[in-house]
Amino acid sequence: MSHNTQTATNTGFSFQVSGTWKAYWVAMLRVLTGWWFFHSGFGKLLDSGLNFGYAPMYLEGMSGTTLGPVATFMAGFPNLMAALVPLFETLIGLALIAGLLTRLASFGGVVFMSLFWVGNAGFSHGLVNSDFMGLLLFVTMIVFAAGRYYGLDAFVEQTRFVQSNPKLKYLLG
Amino acid sequence: MTDTIDKLAMYLSGGLLLLGVVVTGLIETLAGKPYGAAPQTNEAGEVIASPAIDPNIRTALVMAALLVMLLYAIYKLATPIEEEAGTAAPPSTSD
Repeated sequence: MSHNTQTATNTGFSFQVSGTWKAYWVAMLRVLTGWWFFHSGFGKLLDSGLNFGYAPMYLEGMSGTTLGPVATFMAGFPNLMAALVPLFETLIGLALIAGLLTRLASFGGVVFMSLFWVGNAGFSHGLVNSDFMGLLLFVTMIVFAAGRYYGLDAFVEQTRFVQSNPKLKYLLG
Repeated sequence: MTDTIDKLAMYLSGGLLLLGVVVTGLIETLAGKPYGAAPQTNEAGEVIASPAIDPNIRTALVMAALLVMLLYAIYKLATPIEEEAGTAAPPSTSD
């Protein structure tokens, strides 16, 4: 992900997110994606606390799909899944809204959306559906380091601690 | 070396993504009904046409693409950060 942006396409066009509108729109995508997950997770927390019983059932129902072995293994821990799903959805959402630990949170989002995409609805709306688009949004957050634009990661990355441990930018950003 | 790994990761993940979504999608469409990844049913709910390509194959190709990206990210975490020549400007995108 450290490709030279000035010559990336060999067409004379550069690509820099530091441009005003580009940075603004990457930040908007990040906050809206974060709200999407926060709303989903926090709603579950309000509804059933850390006991979202549908989560293990959903995972169990994924047997026979591409991610079936992973999902059914996870379904073997029903209490843990019932607690972690709403909790992580909420935390991922908050992290994206604040732009803090954006890449780490987005990785979590990719895991969630992979399970949603592969397990949901039998592709009645096509293989490229809204779940797949959500998955791509989280990958986009990682590639663009979206937390650096109007997000807290911009400040955290300038701290002495991160400067002396530069690999942390792969979790921040 | 890093640039080669970058290109390998991009070509491999991009190729798998396009194969799983676009190429197989085109084959699915040209192969006739149901045109999409879901089986076609009649009013009684009976399957009257199944997809030409098992959607599990297509999702597996996309998951493989994501796995390539994950392996690339692990590679970046595991190897020392290289200073690129002539990059005095602050990181602006995905460094």
